Amino acid sequence: MFYKSEDNTPVSIDEFHRLHRLLAREYRLLDEERFEEWLGMLHPDIHYWMPGMENRRRENALEHGFFDSQHMALFDDGMRDLKRRVARFLQPSAWAENPATRNVHIVAGVEVFHSEISGEYAVYSTFQSIRARGLDEEYVFSGRRYDTWSDDDGQLKLKKRLILMPNATLNCKNINTFI
Amino acid sequence: MKQIFLCKAGDLPSETVRKVENAEYGDIAVYNLGGQFYATADLCTHATASLAAGDIEDDLIVCPVHWGTFHIPTGEARGFPCEVGIKTYPIKEENGDLYALIEAPEQQAELIAKG
Amino acid sequence: MTINIETVDVTNALNDIDQFCDIPNARISGEIFYRSDIYEQELEKVFARCWLFVAHESQFKKAGDYIATTMGEDDVIVVRQKDGSHRAFINACPHRGNKVCFSESGNARGFICNYHGWSFDIAGNLIGQHESGVYEDSNFDASQWGLREVPLIDSYKGLIFANFDAQAPSLKEYLGPMTWYFDALFDNQEGGTEFVGGCIRSTMDCNWKIAAENFVGDILHAGWTHDSAARAMLGGAVSKVSDFDESYSVNWNGHGYEFALDTVGNVAVLGESALNKYLHTIKPSVAERLGDFRSNMIGSVSSATIFPNFSFLPGQNTIRVWQPRGPNKIELYTWVLVNKSAPEDIKEKWRKGAMMTFSPTGVFEMDDGENWEYCTKTARGKVTSKQHLYVGLGPDTLLKDTDLPANVYAGQLNEANSRAFYQYWSDLLKAPNWKAVPDRNVGRTEAGESAAQCVNKEMG
Repeated sequence: MFYKSEDNTPVSIDEFHRLHRLLAREYRLLDEERFEEWLGMLHPDIHYWMPGMENRRRENALEHGFFDSQHMALFDDGMRDLKRRVARFLQPSAWAENPATRNVHIVAGVEVFHSEISGEYAVYSTFQSIRARGLDEEYVFSGRRYDTWSDDDGQLKLKKRLILMPNATLNCKNINTFI
Repeated sequence: MKQIFLCKAGDLPSETVRKVENAEYGDIAVYNLGGQFYATADLCTHATASLAAGDIEDDLIVCPVHWGTFHIPTGEARGFPCEVGIKTYPIKEENGDLYALIEAPEQQAELIAKG
Repeated sequence: MTINIETVDVTNALNDIDQFCDIPNARISGEIFYRSDIYEQELEKVFARCWLFVAHESQFKKAGDYIATTMGEDDVIVVRQKDGSHRAFINACPHRGNKVCFSESGNARGFICNYHGWSFDIAGNLIGQHESGVYEDSNFDASQWGLREVPLIDSYKGLIFANFDAQAPSLKEYLGPMTWYFDALFDNQEGGTEFVGGCIRSTMDCNWKIAAENFVGDILHAGWTHDSAARAMLGGAVSKVSDFDESYSVNWNGHGYEFALDTVGNVAVLGESALNKYLHTIKPSVAERLGDFRSNMIGSVSSATIFPNFSFLPGQNTIRVWQPRGPNKIELYTWVLVNKSAPEDIKEKWRKGAMMTFSPTGVFEMDDGENWEYCTKTARGKVTSKQHLYVGLGPDTLLKDTDLPANVYAGQLNEANSRAFYQYWSDLLKAPNWKAVPDRNVGRTEAGESAAQCVNKEMG
C-alpha cells in the first residue's frame, strides 16, 4: 500500500517472543470482551490511529499515499477516547452489543525491531478481524499494523498503533471492536 | 536549405510554445525555454494532436491528448505512449526574427521512411 | 452548455402506490424497503430527477481538481473548470462505457479511457484517441462524443448539487425556504464552511429511505437507541428532548429539519468543551448575521435531510449521503464540516469528535446500523412487508400563524417530517414529470418579521 516502514535492527529471539506473546494475548483479551484488561495494555500516551483510505492515483498521492494525517479517520484516539469507546461497550443499553458480537482476531506476519529510542520496539504485523453477529451476519476485514511498544513502569505497553486497512470502502456498517 | 519564418523572438514569452501553420511542411511548434528557442513538428507522432496545445514541463513538451512527452531540444520520445521521436528543426535567429531551417528533400525522405 | 445527454424514458407508475404509502392515514408498509420494482421506479423518478449532492466547493482548489462520486447509481465526476465553475459528467466513456476516472479525487489535465485511449479535456470534450487516423477515415465527429454532461449543476452555500433532469425546478425553488434554516449551519460565519479532507465510505445492508428518514425528523430515537453512547460520552443519558419547551419540525418538498433551540445539545455529545465554548463565543455574531432565533440552532439537538438522500447533523457537523445500491443496501459517504474561520485546533477537534461519534466507528452511529438493517431485513417476509407501519405521531401540530418559514410543526418529537418525506416520495413515484408533482406546501416562503429579527437590522 506504499506506506514505507523502516527496517531497523531486528531483536533477539527472547525479545521477539515477548512481543509476540503480547500481541497474541491482546487479541485473546479482545475476543473474550475483556476490555478493561485490554486498556491496561495501552501506554497512557497511546495514539491509536486508523486513517480513512482514499483511492488516489500515484501522481496525486496524499501525504502517505492513500492516507493523510489531517484527513478523516476511523480511529484517531488517545486514551480518553478509547476509554469512552470501552464505556459504551460496557453499557447495558448498548443494544447492538446484545446478543454479543462474536469476535475472532488473527495476527500474523509479526516482525519486531528495535526502535531509535532505547527500550522501545517497532512491531509490524498483519491482522484479520472476523465478527459474527446474530444468526447469519459475518464481517471480515484485514490489514497491516505498525506499532510502537514502550516501557511504562516496567511493563511493555502499546504506545502507538497505525492500522491500515486496504479497503477504501468499509464492507460493513460499523467496527465495534478494536484491532 | 530553406528557412521558414516562425515569429519574432520578443513575441514568445519564456516557457511558452506556439503553433505556426505551414501547409507545405506541416505545422511547426516553436518553444522558448528560458531564452533558448527550439522548433519541432507540431503534430504528435502518436495520435492526432497539436503539441503547441500542450504544457511545457522543464524541457519536455506534454502532448495534451494522451500526455506522452517529447524532449524539446532533441525531439526524443520520452514518455508513454510516445515512441517515435518528433522531427526537430534548427533555429536561426536574425534581427530578432526566428526561422526554422528545413533540410533538403533527400534528407526529409529518409526520416519519413524510418518514422 | 449544449445538452448532450439522453433523458431516461419515464415508465408507468406502479399501480399500488397508495397501498404501500398512505400518508393521509399515517402508514407505510415495509415493502417500500424491499421490493426491486419500487427501487427501479426510484432510480427513474427520484434519483434521475431530483437535485443530488455531489461535492463541496472547498474540495476544489484549482482547475482540473475533481471529485468522483455517484448520483443514485450513476458514476459521475465533478471537475473544476478554468473559470472556477464546476461541471459534472457521467464517468463512463461514450465508446463502450468504461470508467474514465478510477480515483476518488485528485487533479488532472483530463481523463483518458484505458480501453481505446479516448482522451477528454476537463470540460469533457473528446480531444483525441489512440490510432486517431481510423476515426478520421470514418468521418468521426468528435464533437458529438464528449463525456455526457449532467445538465444542471448549482450550489447553495458551498454545497454543490446536480440534476439529470433539465426540466427540473431550479435548486433554489427545490430547496425553497428550508435554506433559511440550513443557513444556521452553512452560513453562520463570514467565509462560509469547508469540508475536512477525505471521506469515510462504508456500506450498510439497509434501504436508503430508512436512513434518510431517520435524519429528516426522528430525534425520538436518540434517547433510546443512543443511550449507551450518551452515557459513555457525557456520563449521563441523552438530553430529555421532551423537556425542551420550544422545538420544531419544519419541512418543504420532502426536505425536513427538526430542531431544538438549546444551542449546543448536539455538539455537546462530542465531549469537547472547547467546541461548546466556540459556539457560545460565535453566537452573538450569528445573532447579528442571522437573528436570535437561528443563533440558537447552531449546534442544538437537531437533524436534517435534503430530499432524497443528503443528511446532516448540526453540532456534530457530520454530513452524509446515503447512496442507494439496490433496495437493500447503501454506501454511506461521510464528511465533516467546519467553518472556514474557525481556529485550527477547533477544526481538529471537530474532525476527531465527529468521527468518534458519528462514523462507522462512531459510538452513536453503531447502534443505528443494526436498527436500520433489520427494518430492511424483516421486510423480506412477504406477509410482514404488507403489514402497516405506524407513522402518525404529532397529527395536529401544524402551526398556521407563525413567522417561521416553510411548513412548521410544533415539537421535534413528531413524525410530521417523516410523513412529508414519504408523501413527497410517493408524489414523485406517481408523477410522469415535474409539472405533475403537486405542491403540498402550506407555509410561508419567507420568514416573517419576528423570526428574522436581528440584533443589528442592517445585517439582515
